[in-house]
Amino acid sequence: MNVGYYLAKLGDKFFGFKSASAHCDIPCGIYDPHLAQLASHTVLRMVNLIQQLDSDSKYYGHKLARYTATKEEHAELVKYEISVLWGDYFKPEHFEKFPELKDLLWKTMVQASKARQGTEEEDAIALLESVQRIAEIFWESKGRKSLRVTAPYPTEREIVLHP
Amino acid sequence: MMLFFPFSFFRVDGSSMAPTLSEGDYVFLLKTKAAKDDDIVVARKPGSDKMIIKRVLSHENDDFFVIGDNHKASTDSRSFGPISRQEIIGRVILTLRKPKQK
Repeated sequence: MNVGYYLAKLGDKFFGFKSASAHCDIPCGIYDPHLAQLASHTVLRMVNLIQQLDSDSKYYGHKLARYTATKEEHAELVKYEISVLWGDYFKPEHFEKFPELKDLLWKTMVQASKARQGTEEEDAIALLESVQRIAEIFWESKGRKSLRVTAPYPTEREIVLHP
Repeated sequence: MMLFFPFSFFRVDGSSMAPTLSEGDYVFLLKTKAAKDDDIVVARKPGSDKMIIKRVLSHENDDFFVIGDNHKASTDSRSFGPISRQEIIGRVILTLRKPKQK
């Protein structure tokens, strides 16, 4: 009954058939906008710390370097996390259901670069707001309710959670 | 001589075509670019040398939108977009399923 299969297997042994991949990029289905939110809170926090720096302090240069490095790293992290959601999670049906999504994702990438380059608080806040909106859309696309609460971070701004 | 042989065997690797095809199954292919909707095709993955096996969901002229039967675990046209007719290696005309272990 399985003669065909065994003949094919035999043929594979002798000739080495090519394989046709029926895969998905692992880890499949594990996405969360949380890391992007944490990273954008960090960007805002670093901007605030940079603005509060005392330029007369003997540690000024050292602290400025550390805050700047952390800000840049986290802005890059936002871009990475958003690009994963964009490329791997969001599908054509999501873009249909949320017409603002495509523009929002693009705007967030640009805003993350802007926040990375500069030290303006308003850029960091705009980035955080875009990321929060993406998080809301993400949870809505999963059919989950989300919640905006004040984050327990020194930034004292909101974070989107799902209960 | 082999070059002109219009058929080919492929071994299935992965589970994105479940439940139709599973890992280790074999497919017998007619090498053709003439695929239609609902056909299972082997094609070159855009931007790589990898061969993929997916089902044609729909097509328009030379653009084929292919997806895995296992929608929850498949990387397909939903992420890399439609594939062009040029990328299609052939159409599956026979599947040889691995016998179930008793």
